[in-house]
Amino acid sequence: MNKFTKIVFKKEIMDTFRDKKTIFSSIIIPIIIFPLIAFVIGLGSSDMVKESKEPVQIALLSEENNGLEMFLKSNDNVNIIKTKDYKKTLDKLEAKVVVKIGEDFDEKIKNGEKPEINLIYDDTSQKSEMAKSRIEQIILSYTNHIVVKRLENEGINPQILEPVDIKSSSVSKEGGTGLLLFSMLLPFMLTIWSAVGGIPAATDLGAGEKERQTLEPLLTTKANRISILMGKYFTVVLAGIIATTASLIGFLIATKINPEFLGESATLSIKSIAIITLVCLEMALAFSSIELAISFYARNFKEAQTYLSPVSILLMVPAYLTMFVDGRAVPEYYFHIPIINTIGIIKEVIVSVYDFKHILITTGWNLVYIALFLMITVKMFEKETVIFRN
Amino acid sequence: MIEVKNISKHFKDVVAVDNISFKVEEGKVFGLLGENGAGKTTTLRMLATMLKPSTGTANIRGYDLIQEPADVRGEIGILFGGETGLYDRLSARENIEYFGLLNGMTKKDISVQIEKLSRSLEMEDYIERRVGKFSKGMKQKVALARSIVHNPSIMFFDEPTSGLDVTAVRIVHKFIKELKSEGKTIIFSSHSMNEVEKLCDEVGIIHKGKMIEVTSLEGLKEKFKEENLEEIFVSLVGEKNE
Ligand SMILES: Nc1ncnc2c1ncn2[C@@H]1O[C@H](COP(=O)(O)OP(=O)(O)OP(=O)(O)O)[C@@H](O)[C@H]1O
Ligand SMILES: [Mg+2]
Repeated sequence: MNKFTKIVFKKEIMDTFRDKKTIFSSIIIPIIIFPLIAFVIGLGSSDMVKESKEPVQIALLSEENNGLEMFLKSNDNVNIIKTKDYKKTLDKLEAKVVVKIGEDFDEKIKNGEKPEINLIYDDTSQKSEMAKSRIEQIILSYTNHIVVKRLENEGINPQILEPVDIKSSSVSKEGGTGLLLFSMLLPFMLTIWSAVGGIPAATDLGAGEKERQTLEPLLTTKANRISILMGKYFTVVLAGIIATTASLIGFLIATKINPEFLGESATLSIKSIAIITLVCLEMALAFSSIELAISFYARNFKEAQTYLSPVSILLMVPAYLTMFVDGRAVPEYYFHIPIINTIGIIKEVIVSVYDFKHILITTGWNLVYIALFLMITVKMFEKETVIFRN
Repeated sequence: MIEVKNISKHFKDVVAVDNISFKVEEGKVFGLLGENGAGKTTTLRMLATMLKPSTGTANIRGYDLIQEPADVRGEIGILFGGETGLYDRLSARENIEYFGLLNGMTKKDISVQIEKLSRSLEMEDYIERRVGKFSKGMKQKVALARSIVHNPSIMFFDEPTSGLDVTAVRIVHKFIKELKSEGKTIIFSSHSMNEVEKLCDEVGIIHKGKMIEVTSLEGLKEKFKEENLEEIFVSLVGEKNE
C-alpha cells in the first residue's frame, strides 16, 4: 500500500466506523439476522414440540368402568379432564379430544363383537388434530394388546402380523433437516453479505464526499487520484468482510439458540472455512469497486442509494435460484456463472465436497471480474464528467 | 507568480472558459469577478488541477499546470464554496490533520501548524471536538485552517463568502488579509464588487467565459471615471451584451 493510500484508508475506517448507521447496517443487522431466523423457527416448532411431550388432554365419556378406561387413566401420556359439558371444554381446548367409549365395551370385546369408540375433535385446530392422532396411537396400543391375546389364545405367534422388518437410515453423514436449512441459508447469506456489506460505506465514501464538498480539496492535495481511490476501495472491501464475518458470528449464535439450525453433527472444518473465506473475499473485492464507481457517478447521497439498492435485489435472484441446489450435485456449468459459482462452492464445502477444479474455475472468473471492475472504476474516477457531474 | 496562458474549457458544446490569459504577481490578491455561469469556478478548478484545460496552460510558481500537476498541487491551497466541506464525525484537529498528511507533512509539523492556526483563528476551545455539531462560524474557521495547514504559497478561493452570515464573512475577509500580509499570492472569485474592492489589488472581469478586462482597482476607476464599482461592472457587462 502506498503512503497516501494508507492515510486515506486509516481515515476512512475511523470515519466509517464512527457512523452509527454503518455500524447498524454492516455489523448489527448481519449479526442478528441468523439468530432471529433461528428464534422464529424455534418459536413456531417448540410450541408444538412442547405440546407433544406433555400428556394428551382428553375428556372421557364412558358409561361403565371398562378396560380401556382403566388403561387410559393409568397411562402417563394421558391426562383426563373432568367435565360435564364436553362440547364447551373442546371449544376452549381445555380437552383437545373427547373420547367416547361405546356401551358394553368389555362385554363386546369378549364376545368378539366390535364396540365403538368415537373421537370428537376440532379439525380447525392443529393442536386438537395432533392430540387426535396421539390418542389414536395410544388406543391402538391397547387394541394391539387385545389382538396379541386373541392370537395367543388360538396358538398363533403374533409375529405373523409383521411379515417384513422395515428399517430406515439416512445416507447423510451429518444431521438431517437441520443440515438442509444450514446448506440452504448459509451460502446464500454469506455470498450476499460479502457482496453488499460494503454498500453503506461505498455510498458515504463516494457520493457522500461529493455532497459534503470535500472531494475538491481532496483532489488538490499531493496525493494522486489512484492512491485516494485505493484507500477508499480497501475501506469498502473491509466493510464487506466485516459484514460477512458478523453474519458468520450471527450464524454461530443461532446454533446456540437452536441447535437444530446446524444439524446434529455438522461442523465447519478449518479447510472449509478457509475456502469460504477465499471465495467471499473475492466477492467483496469484485463488488466493492463497482459500488464505489456507482457511488462516485451519483450526484449525491440519495442518488447513490437509488442506484445501489438494485444491486442487492439483482443478487437475490441467483441466490434464490440456487437455494435448493444440493451441494453434492452442483452442475459443472454453475461454476462459470458469476455469484452462482460462489454460492456453489460454499454449498459443496458445507457437505464436505472439496472439488479443486471448481474452486479454480470460480477463482479464475472472480479474478477476471475484480480486474475488470477495478479498471472501470479507476477510469471513471479519472473522468471529469463523472467527478464533476452537475 | 501565476501566469495563465490562453486557457479554455469546453464541456461538450458549452464553452465555459474561452481563451483567458492573465498574470498575478507574487504577494498580490487577484479578484475574478463575474456573474453566475461566467466561468469563475471552472477557471479555478483548472488552475487547481481538478479539471484538464481543453487548450492552453498556466505556469504556477515555475511549474507547468499540464506537465507537473502534482508539483502544482503542492504549492496551492483551496477553499471552494461558502458551505464548507468537513467530515462531521472527525474532530476539528483530525479534519485538519488529514489534509496535512495528504500534502506530505509529518505529524509533528502538522501539530505545530495546528497549534499556531488554532491560536490565530481562536479555535482552542473546540479543536478536539467533532465538527458535526459546530456552528457555521466554527466550521468556517476549521475549513480555513484546513486549506492552509500545509502552508501553501498560493491560495484559491471560490466565492468563499457565499451563503455566509455577516460574522462568518468578516472571519473570511480577515483571514484573506492576514494571508496577504504573510506574502501569499491569492486568487479569489466573487460576484460582489464590494468584496473585490475591499481585498483586491487587481481585478479580472469575466463574462460568458471571456476575460473582458484585467486592471488594477485604480485603473478601473480611472478608465471609467466612476467611483462606484457596481456601475462600472454593469456598464462593462452591458457593453458586451449588445
Ligand atoms: N461539469 C460541467 N459539465 C458541463 N457544463 C459545465 C460543468 N461545469 C460548468 N459548466 C458550465 O460552464 C459554465 C461556467 O460555469 P462555472 O461554474 O464555471 O461558472 P461560475 O462563474 O462559477 O458561476 P457561479 O457564480 O454560478 O458559480 C456554465 O454555463 C456551466 O453550466
Ligand atoms: Mg462558481
